[in-house]
Amino acid sequence: MSNKNVDSESFGRFDFVKNTGLFGGISVVLVLISLIYLSIRGINYGIDFKGGTEIQVKFNQPVTIEQVRNTVEGLRLGEVGVQSFGEGSEFIIRFIGEKGATDKETNEKLNASISLVKEKLSSSFADNGVDIRRVDTVGPQVGAELKRNGFLAVFYCLLVILIYVSIRFDYKFGPGAVACLFHDTVITLAIFVLVGKEVNVPILAAILSLIGFSLNDTIVVFDRIRETEHLHKNRGYAFIINRAINDMLSRTLITSGTVFVSALSLYLFAGGVVSDIAFAIAVGIFFGTYSSIYVAAPLILVMEKLNLSPRATIRST
Amino acid sequence: MEALRSRTWIAILGLVMAIAFVMPNFVDVSRLSWWPSAKLNYGLDIQGGLHLVMGVDVAGVVATSVVRQTASLKSEFEKEKITIKDFDTTKAKDGQFTVNVSSIEDAKKIETYIQNSYSTTLQVLAANADSVELKYFDANMLEQKQNVIRQAIETIRNRIDEFGVAEPSITQQGADRILIQLPGMADAEKAKQLINTTAKLDFMVVSYEKSPEELRKLIDEAEKAGGYTLATLKYSEYVARLNQDLASKLPAKTIIYFEKNENAKTMEAGSVAYLLKTDTDLTGDYLDTASVAFGQYGEPEVSMRFNPIGANKFAELTGTHINEQMAVVLDKVVKTAPKINSKIPNGQAVITLGTSSNRDTQLNEAKFIATALRAGSLPASLEQLEERRVGPSLGRDALDKAKTASFIGSILIIIFMIIYYKNMGLISTLGLLINITSIFALLGSLGATLTLPGIAGMALTVGFAVDANVLINERIKEELEKGASLKSAIQEGYHKAMSAIIDSNITVSSTALILLYFGTGPVRGFAVTLLVGIATTLFANVFVSKVIVDNLVHRFGVQKLSV
Repeated sequence: MSNKNVDSESFGRFDFVKNTGLFGGISVVLVLISLIYLSIRGINYGIDFKGGTEIQVKFNQPVTIEQVRNTVEGLRLGEVGVQSFGEGSEFIIRFIGEKGATDKETNEKLNASISLVKEKLSSSFADNGVDIRRVDTVGPQVGAELKRNGFLAVFYCLLVILIYVSIRFDYKFGPGAVACLFHDTVITLAIFVLVGKEVNVPILAAILSLIGFSLNDTIVVFDRIRETEHLHKNRGYAFIINRAINDMLSRTLITSGTVFVSALSLYLFAGGVVSDIAFAIAVGIFFGTYSSIYVAAPLILVMEKLNLSPRATIRST
Repeated sequence: MEALRSRTWIAILGLVMAIAFVMPNFVDVSRLSWWPSAKLNYGLDIQGGLHLVMGVDVAGVVATSVVRQTASLKSEFEKEKITIKDFDTTKAKDGQFTVNVSSIEDAKKIETYIQNSYSTTLQVLAANADSVELKYFDANMLEQKQNVIRQAIETIRNRIDEFGVAEPSITQQGADRILIQLPGMADAEKAKQLINTTAKLDFMVVSYEKSPEELRKLIDEAEKAGGYTLATLKYSEYVARLNQDLASKLPAKTIIYFEKNENAKTMEAGSVAYLLKTDTDLTGDYLDTASVAFGQYGEPEVSMRFNPIGANKFAELTGTHINEQMAVVLDKVVKTAPKINSKIPNGQAVITLGTSSNRDTQLNEAKFIATALRAGSLPASLEQLEERRVGPSLGRDALDKAKTASFIGSILIIIFMIIYYKNMGLISTLGLLINITSIFALLGSLGATLTLPGIAGMALTVGFAVDANVLINERIKEELEKGASLKSAIQEGYHKAMSAIIDSNITVSSTALILLYFGTGPVRGFAVTLLVGIATTLFANVFVSKVIVDNLVHRFGVQKLSV
């Protein structure tokens, strides 16, 4: 990836701008597919947002998933889902619980159901060594509140980033940065839903910090474009963008690579909530890197073409 | 050179502090009292435990208190010869009620009476020919509501003490919620059950049939014979066992309960035994309300008011036991045992405090007693809103796995950095190790809690921290290719990379700050490690690595550093 043979008049190894149409088109299609998929399937909210109970149980002697399912069904828990977890006889039992007339009643039913499930499991699998390893119960009030806070967090996050981008860069750069974030977040979310993972508070946190990581990538490229612009005032934007991306290419790939390696090893080896966070970050970093090369920078070109005035100046910080 | 020297000292100082703060996590430093001793806290998701959010029915307590207020007013109006029809308490939840009357004269009389006798608590909203509308003052309502939460917390704390949980945390969350965090809780069902039982308040007369010395001797004998102490049993079990064992040796209709000694942290550490008569039958049900009041000279005291039936019982009890002590017992624990000075006929009593202590201590004691009294007379109903329970084995497994995963990721990154950037990669690695040490040191010294998402945040910080070095190293490479000398390439490389480094850290830290504000529990842990990671990255991977490189080049005259 060395630039040794590149003289100062060449834009570098790859002509990124030439393929803008192709990759831009791919991105638009990907985002559209993701949006349609998300609107049809809906985001798979976990109990943090939906309310309900999740019980993680481990058996010391082998138990099949059907046995567990048959045992907990018929306990009047509302919709019940049983899923095997990790290796061995470990399962997650999820249920929303029966709705009561009031939130208070729903809460009470939910709380009563935990000991109901626990007793039923203990009596049915007395010889299999029942170990209740985790119980999470979120009542309707807290669920609604977590949802509201999550929504506010996303809102403020986007707001702060928009403000930052608009202070830091001028009109040419803003849309590219925002489009990038949108692109990364939507595609990551769609893939998350596609593999059947639930969105809980930690996942929301992962996606928000992903926005931070992804923006960072974009900003580094923009920063370089700005610098290149000063060095090659007589060149067109296509040259400047190509030059800047080529110059930053090894940095972009290495940094994304290192975060990706961190995330990937967490995803593969950590398990549980850490694994889910890492999954979201790994997927997001992948698309974030792609988008800061093929979405953000070429959009500057588009903005430049839309603008008929002489080349805009860039505010200093 | 001067600047480099001071930067070197700052780097060394930072490093020494980081190591000093990390030490307690690995070695026992308790013998050195001056050594920082804060250890890293693990969140409930790692150490296992019970996390409960309880909703407190504050409005319900306010309503009960209004209804009681009307009952008390009814008899007061009778005494004042004011005729009323009835009370309307449909707005009781807002601290408001209406007295229905048949003439404007009665309404005016009520208005005057309230203004004279309840000048600080009740306000007259309207006085018409058919009704008088009354409401608690806003300040009074606010205080009542705060009291409800405070007494609910106090009640829960008493219950939790039963379990001997190492570091329970019981805090108010929002306006009407209580967050309970019990680390390492094994019997969650039992704990939930205990938290949900309402408090029981008893007034009991102290028996003098056994002297304190005799009582102590009896208890010691029973403990020795039964082979148990307060340390080995839960308090309620201990008390039940002790009284059962001593039943034949104690006077009829008496029972032993304990008071927690002043300054004692737990019952085990300091308990004072009381022999109490069980035949008084005056419980919290008969008590209307209790509050902190101030006496003639502004000294803090506790005022309490019984309902009409309670007033009669209380008059009889005080009349027959003058100069004896009456214990206030909440959930079998003696809270205070004041001496009865005289017969109290009207159900309005004041507990004065000893004059030996200073005013602050007295005020705290008055608050403590009033809270205990209210907890038994106006128990707030609790509703469980959220529960998160992690078994100890799961947390340990998850921690081990997350550690292994972080370790593998970090090693891969380090190997790559050294292969790809050679000498400079080695320096980046050194920066990374200092970075990780500093993260642990900062988290420990800030008293932050390490959660599973927090570990994820830390592993990601490692991946992200080398970004700064990558930016710098790539710049240095470029400068060298342009033909710059090593010295100027390094100077320029660090200088030009700075704006990108600052930018990227601002974006990540702003999202982390938002998460910190809106997140709860584990997610906050994630945000905290991200933020701390950014600070330590700037210190270790940027500042310290520059100091190392500058020292190598300027001080030790290194001519070549491979990038």
